[in-house]
Amino acid sequence: MDELEILKKDWKKKEAELPRLSYNEIYQMLWKRSSSIVKWIFVISILELFLSTLLSIFLADEAYWLEMEQLKLRNFTIGLYVISYGITFYFIYRFYRNYQKISSTDDAATLMQNILRTRKTVKTYIAFVLISSGISALVVSYFSVKNHQLTASVEDAAKYSFDLMAWTKFIFLAFIALSIFLCAIWLFYKLLYGILLKRLKRNYRELKTLEM
Amino acid sequence: MKKELEHSFVTLLEKHQNIAHKICRIYTNDQEEHNDLFQEITIQLWKAYPKFRGDSKFSTWMYRVALNTAITLYRKAKRSIRTDNFDEVSFKIKADEYDGETEHQLKLMYKAVKELNDIDKALVFLYLEDQSYREISKTLGISEINARVKMNRVKTKLKSILNP
Repeated sequence: MDELEILKKDWKKKEAELPRLSYNEIYQMLWKRSSSIVKWIFVISILELFLSTLLSIFLADEAYWLEMEQLKLRNFTIGLYVISYGITFYFIYRFYRNYQKISSTDDAATLMQNILRTRKTVKTYIAFVLISSGISALVVSYFSVKNHQLTASVEDAAKYSFDLMAWTKFIFLAFIALSIFLCAIWLFYKLLYGILLKRLKRNYRELKTLEM
Repeated sequence: MKKELEHSFVTLLEKHQNIAHKICRIYTNDQEEHNDLFQEITIQLWKAYPKFRGDSKFSTWMYRVALNTAITLYRKAKRSIRTDNFDEVSFKIKADEYDGETEHQLKLMYKAVKELNDIDKALVFLYLEDQSYREISKTLGISEINARVKMNRVKTKLKSILNP
């Protein structure tokens, strides 16, 4: 006899030994809090979207706009804000649509795919925020140095004049600082979602092998 | 209205609770974890219940949601995986029911099932529940051919554990 058939027979026999919960015991469970990964992903994603939006609002105070004015970057910054808010709203809409699609009544592969897609939207958004912040930081630094030279008084000019070497150093240091910052954020992400999604990704891969 | 929904749901789940308990037996290693997963399955079923239209059987619908919870949604509270006392906590095998060899074989089989990955466990579970390959493929979202190939691989894996 096939080994699995022996197991099947025993499996059926064991049904009688399964625990039995009463109506009331099951009823009590309806009000318990879920600890599903979807809930965690939802909470973390909303926090990420909310914090990054808040950060960009609070950083742009009056002093910031005054500084941008002095650096002749006001129009550039307004343009950048319009574009980045447009993109932010687009990501929030995508996140909401993807999240709505997650349903425990779907088949296992579709459910996993939808969770991974929702997560990917937020991940792409964070990458966009980091890269665009990095680029705008570089642009602002460049104009700060450049315009400071123009606005500084004559006797100070020598102090602020940048030769090729100084520019190379400046770009190099800015690049290093940016890389360290991005690496730290990337590591944090790897750790956070590595823990949360490791099992899901492994199961999805396992399910999808031979499927192509 | 809400009371009616609660009542019909709890009544159905009380009747079909075996499905959830059997999934818990395959996917967990101790009573505490079993209860924890059972609770999460109940919550997920309850959340999805308003969308249950009744065009499929409650049990068919329950297999899908409960397995999805065990494989994808459930976050284990504990990270440790203990399989040493598996037959004492999950699958009690009574010595007087079988001859020595069958008893030994069953113990090995249950231990081997516990050591399978989440997807293989789902395949074995659905097979033990007499589900057709068509139903298995629909629940897992894979093709029927893939389900058959995977099941054959699981059988080979189990055989090699039993006959090293």
